[in-house]
Amino acid sequence: MVQFIFDTLFRAADLALIAVALSAVYSLIRFPNVALVQYAVVGAFVGMALQQQGVPIVPAVLLASLLVGGIAQVFNAVIFQRLLRLDPAIALIGSLALSMVLSAGFLLGFGPAAQRFSVQVAPATRVFGVRVTEMQVLTGGLTVAILIAFALLLFRTPLGREMRAVSTNPVLAAATGVNTARVTGLVVFLSGVIAALGGAMLALRGSVSIDMGTNMLLPVFAAAILGGLGNAFGAVFGAIVIAAAETLITNLNFGPIVGQDHVFLPASYAPAASFALLVAVLLFRPRGIFVSEVTRV
Amino acid sequence: MKKMIRVLAATSVLATALPAQADVVIGAVLPLSGVNANGGEDQRRGIELAVAQINEAGGVLGEPLKVIYEDSGNVPQRAIDAARKLVSVDGVALVIGEYSSGITIPLGQYLVAEGVPHLNPASTSGLVRGIGATSFSMVGLDNVSTEFAAKDVLDRGWKRVAVLAMNNAFGQGVANEFGAHFAQLGGEVTTTIMYTSGQTTYRRELQQAESTEPDAYVFTAYGADGGLMMQEAYELGLQEDPWYSILITMHNADTPAEFKTGLIGMDVDYTADDTSYKAAYEEAYGQSFQSAWSGYAHDTTLFAAETIERAGSTDRPAVLSAIAELGAEGFTGVTGEIKLDADGQRMWQPYQKLKVEGDALVSHE
Repeated sequence: MVQFIFDTLFRAADLALIAVALSAVYSLIRFPNVALVQYAVVGAFVGMALQQQGVPIVPAVLLASLLVGGIAQVFNAVIFQRLLRLDPAIALIGSLALSMVLSAGFLLGFGPAAQRFSVQVAPATRVFGVRVTEMQVLTGGLTVAILIAFALLLFRTPLGREMRAVSTNPVLAAATGVNTARVTGLVVFLSGVIAALGGAMLALRGSVSIDMGTNMLLPVFAAAILGGLGNAFGAVFGAIVIAAAETLITNLNFGPIVGQDHVFLPASYAPAASFALLVAVLLFRPRGIFVSEVTRV
Repeated sequence: MKKMIRVLAATSVLATALPAQADVVIGAVLPLSGVNANGGEDQRRGIELAVAQINEAGGVLGEPLKVIYEDSGNVPQRAIDAARKLVSVDGVALVIGEYSSGITIPLGQYLVAEGVPHLNPASTSGLVRGIGATSFSMVGLDNVSTEFAAKDVLDRGWKRVAVLAMNNAFGQGVANEFGAHFAQLGGEVTTTIMYTSGQTTYRRELQQAESTEPDAYVFTAYGADGGLMMQEAYELGLQEDPWYSILITMHNADTPAEFKTGLIGMDVDYTADDTSYKAAYEEAYGQSFQSAWSGYAHDTTLFAAETIERAGSTDRPAVLSAIAELGAEGFTGVTGEIKLDADGQRMWQPYQKLKVEGDALVSHE
């Protein structure tokens, strides 16, 4: 049981940052940006490249995240703003196309093999009978810290108030003097930064390969949609639910049912669990578990 | 006079284009370009050394042996096109090929359909067994390697093991065959975990394996997968129990030394006890063996020459029955005895027990 809780929490940490970034940006520009999962991969790869150039790991990750934030703004201005004028569905397809282009770019730039940060690896220690590695604790803690920082920004600062105002009613916000373009630009930048940090945390716990983005797409979307797209902190809850479903599927021993000692479902079935759960929830709550602010316009 | 010159010119062109009628010609389809080009080149070296040895000793049927090489480019269709050319244009007695199972199988199927003898010098997938009646393997397939591994694991006193293998034709073959041999020898496989290759973490699979409390972990993995799996096994503390790798050279270079302390395993052996071939190779190419496969290509060529000699001609049906006869009798090459089972597959081949020392692999008995 303790193992189950730990596995769920660490998996949720994998998903949460990218899902929050996805939801935050949706709340302002009303289309789910598929390419966000690839921004996470860019963050991890650029961080690794910087580290290989001799930059210490902390500044390497921070620099990479800021860079990805900038890239997110450029893509938003050059591609998505134009496509959005046509139709959000076209912007969605555009982001899928961009995601594929980025993936092909990674293949050229970094090759097909999985890559790691060069960090000291130590054997796990036992906590409550469960094996936990230093890196898991460190990156898990950082993930929580980043989420708290984002929450404080959103709910405790004038800028956060403007962000919430623009997401609830952009026209009214503009009329009361909020610079909506600046706020949107900032949120796009932040979404890139958070996604890149998410990718770097993932890379620190394991490794990153060019198809990580594609592999993360479904669970991250499921988490964001479950939490109610546009509700950034609903996405955290969504991530925990998806992580629990995935962990349940892979940790459950089906042996007794089929009359053997140990039978496990392949770990690659985990995305099927998240997808099934997503469909089930959407049947009953089409707008996600938490009704997002978007619907209260 | 002018006409005479034309005829002479035409015949001389023809004479250079076609091999001398008297030569005994066989074909080889190898990956001389593409991702497996190094392996293909090593195979070619093995064949060249065998041809030199045969021709020095008087050739085949009193004539020099000639091998026509074709490049598969690591693409199945190119391999088949190459084989078609060898069969219909060059009229070869038999075809040797290829390197990876995914190409050897379609290549072999084409040759079987044409009734041309096919000798597989390298591919070990269990599916090779099903190619057809005129296809023969000069290497032991996965059933042979896993039997060796199962025996080795049991000899070390590990009765209950968890098996991890990649979820493709090769991995499934290894997992099934190992499980069958291990059970037959009295061991117990606690769980068989088929993982998807290319993942960014194998923590879930490792935890599944751990929960069955095995005496040891037996696994097979490609380069980067194996490196990551060993790192995560180390991080999770699973390396408190022994780890055993089937075909350990596939991932050894990709696994940092700190994560593989004490790792043992097995792989195919370059040669059996024969050191003369090793010396000949090093003298000819100025370096040590580039892969395990030159010796097998070398023996395949010797085997082919011997069967043509026995058949008394390059007539394909005669060559086929000579292969069956020699295969049943057994033929000794640098990789030891080549003896074929009822399906034309090699029954035994040398393997080596290896252990990790620092970063390198050393023999381990």
